[in-house]
Amino acid sequence: MNIFFGLVSATLVGATPILLSAIGGAFTFYAGIFNIAMEGMMLMGAFCAVLGSYFLHSWLAGIACGIAGALVMAGIFVLFAVRLHTDEFLTGIALNLFAVGATTFLLRDIFRVKGAFTNAGIRAIPTVTLPLLDHIPVVGRLLSGYNAMVYVAGLVVIVAAFAIFHTRFGLRLRAAGYNAACLSSSGVPASTVRIWSLVICAVCCGLAGAYLSLGYVRLFSENMSAGRGWISLAAIILVSGNPWGIAIISLLFGFFDGLTVFLQGSRIPTQFTAMIPYAATLVSLYFYSLRRKGRT
Amino acid sequence: MARGVLIDLQRITKVFPPDTIALDNVSVSFEAGEIHALVGENGAGKSTLMKVLFGLERRNAGDILYRGEKVDFRTPREAIAAGIGMVHQEILLIPEYTVWENIVLGAEPVGPLGRLDVRRARDVVRAKIEEFQFNLDVDALVGDISVAARQKVEILKLLYRNVAVLVLDEPTAVLTPQEIPQLFGELRRLRDKGKTIIFISHRLDEVLALSDRVTVLRRGRVVGTSRTVDLTKEDLARQMVGRDVLFVSQRQPQERGDTVLRVRDLEVRGTDRHGPLHDISVEVHAGEIVGVAGVEGNGQFELVNAIMGLIPVAAGSIEIEAKDVTHADILTRRSLMSFVSQDRGRMGASLTASVLEDAIMTHHTLDPTFTRWHGVGLDYRRARSFTEEIRKRFDVSMRHPADQFQSLSGGNQQKVILGRELLLDTPFVLMDQPTRGLDIGSIEYVHQLILDLRTNGRAVLLISADLEELFMMADRIVTVYRGVMVADLPVEETNVGDVGLLMLGGIRRAHA
Repeated sequence: MNIFFGLVSATLVGATPILLSAIGGAFTFYAGIFNIAMEGMMLMGAFCAVLGSYFLHSWLAGIACGIAGALVMAGIFVLFAVRLHTDEFLTGIALNLFAVGATTFLLRDIFRVKGAFTNAGIRAIPTVTLPLLDHIPVVGRLLSGYNAMVYVAGLVVIVAAFAIFHTRFGLRLRAAGYNAACLSSSGVPASTVRIWSLVICAVCCGLAGAYLSLGYVRLFSENMSAGRGWISLAAIILVSGNPWGIAIISLLFGFFDGLTVFLQGSRIPTQFTAMIPYAATLVSLYFYSLRRKGRT
Repeated sequence: MARGVLIDLQRITKVFPPDTIALDNVSVSFEAGEIHALVGENGAGKSTLMKVLFGLERRNAGDILYRGEKVDFRTPREAIAAGIGMVHQEILLIPEYTVWENIVLGAEPVGPLGRLDVRRARDVVRAKIEEFQFNLDVDALVGDISVAARQKVEILKLLYRNVAVLVLDEPTAVLTPQEIPQLFGELRRLRDKGKTIIFISHRLDEVLALSDRVTVLRRGRVVGTSRTVDLTKEDLARQMVGRDVLFVSQRQPQERGDTVLRVRDLEVRGTDRHGPLHDISVEVHAGEIVGVAGVEGNGQFELVNAIMGLIPVAAGSIEIEAKDVTHADILTRRSLMSFVSQDRGRMGASLTASVLEDAIMTHHTLDPTFTRWHGVGLDYRRARSFTEEIRKRFDVSMRHPADQFQSLSGGNQQKVILGRELLLDTPFVLMDQPTRGLDIGSIEYVHQLILDLRTNGRAVLLISADLEELFMMADRIVTVYRGVMVADLPVEETNVGDVGLLMLGGIRRAHA
């Protein structure tokens, strides 16, 4: 039973950063932007969150700084890909590389450490016990007591699904992706919608980053996003951006991620267990392509 | 018919630097509640004039008066807000969205939290559809409906925004012949409900059938505005081209030669991308033009592609000069046949390639003089002189052979393609809608070229949606209906009415 609860908890914890950044990426996906910069936005978010939390002595300030850091990245993306019409793919690669370089440099320059910065002064995002649920035996243990960002992620999925499919903004957002010229000729500049989608993406990736450095662990280490932005990109493409689909894929990934932690205690080499989530991504891609073939 | 002037364009002048005068002192007034046709050849200034009205091009001089007041729209959005909307030639809709979603996009009714008010949106759209009797399903996906229905959606999109003036840029270009009367009915109904319609076209019959008044533009100047009832087709053509245009056949009687193309009992299986062909037999002799008539989508596409070797033949045979090419590879076919595709931009040429590259296509593989070092390199000097030959012989107006093909006008593009194909010097020529989208002057030129081919003893199979064109060109007309050949008649023994009936599935006639 303990293993079960442990796995559920590890699944939710592992899924959260991927879920948040993938939902952000879903907005740009629907807006017709080939955005691969989630990785970089998340990493920048993680670093800035530590920066804010450490110097301003508040986890809320940390989250705010994380979002601000990701927004700066989005600003650069907007300037180049939307305003100056550079290639989105190249802009994304540049931003991702920039994020690794910039955070590593700033880590060494500001905190005078190499590899990782950990300090008791970093305020972590607190955990939340749900008032009523907590006292129900099994359900309470399953659903209560997680980091606040885990619940935020759940909320973000619901809000995103509503915004994308049931609001005016959503109709315009998807129109920008389907046929930007049509949207523009309908009186709504597609570039404006795209800029907003990038802003939303940055906010989500900022939250994901803040969760990584202030929730998942309480430190910043070089390149700590560790490919999660790329996996979220895979999740988005796999389900064509649908938020509910993204939630499922993220949970699946979180499950394998959690499994890794569990198997580390066993005699299987850690290098091998660490491979599981990525192998699972490839396997799911394979099954997905089979399903697609069956349809056509 | 006392009507007020709604839009008054006064002495509009537009100069494209350095010295191209696109509009020269153009004055036109559009009255409320009329269908006003704006006609002219490609490049006459119709589109530029409308772009000036919508603020897409800035004018160098002149005033625009709308409802008696000077206006200056900077974007189409401002024009729509004022009540003037335009339906462009290329339909700009989202196939993944439903009819109502496409119509309300950009002006959506919303509830709290920015939530789409789906019920109100659908009700309003449905009311508009009923008001103008458009016969559309609000919940149908735009990707699933016909081109004609999409055009209706475009019109409704403007009506939803309560425009008083609709500008339609060659709306019939994308429609099949039987869809056109329906569109005209709808446009008349809009006029009767008080809308003003500006109809841009270069198809004279349509202009005469639909409009109340006509303004003719030629080379950036207004030739004149007349009431349609006072005009004949010949008058209009003369005003457009600036000289008399002959609408009678220039075809001289001549003896036909040996059989060149012989298609026997051709069968093609239908797939989801094309329909089937059954039992098609047709012969074309040297010095003969055979026309293929039919409503689009009744087997012309399949016939052309089967002859060209682009779709597999299930049974039957295709011979050219007694050589069996039923299953021959395309290069073998191309040494025996020239082919002018109806789709200039995709099949006929590469739009982004240079004029020179498009001009030498096929020649560079069939004719060894175009290559050096045993086919490894191209001989650009030869290619340039060949392009120059096409330019001279086919009267192409182009700046430089290295320019992109798409920088040429439609008529000049077609001339390059025709030049390339006709210089292949093959016994058989396959022409699929060679005059589609061309203006009258260019059409006349292409017609003369086709007749010259006949005089020179080539065999021509001409597919056309334009019956009058077929009757002017062809010696014999075969009619296809649902993938079956329903008639093969010498032109002298039939008429436009009979063939029109056959096209629509009328009685099957014996082969002549």
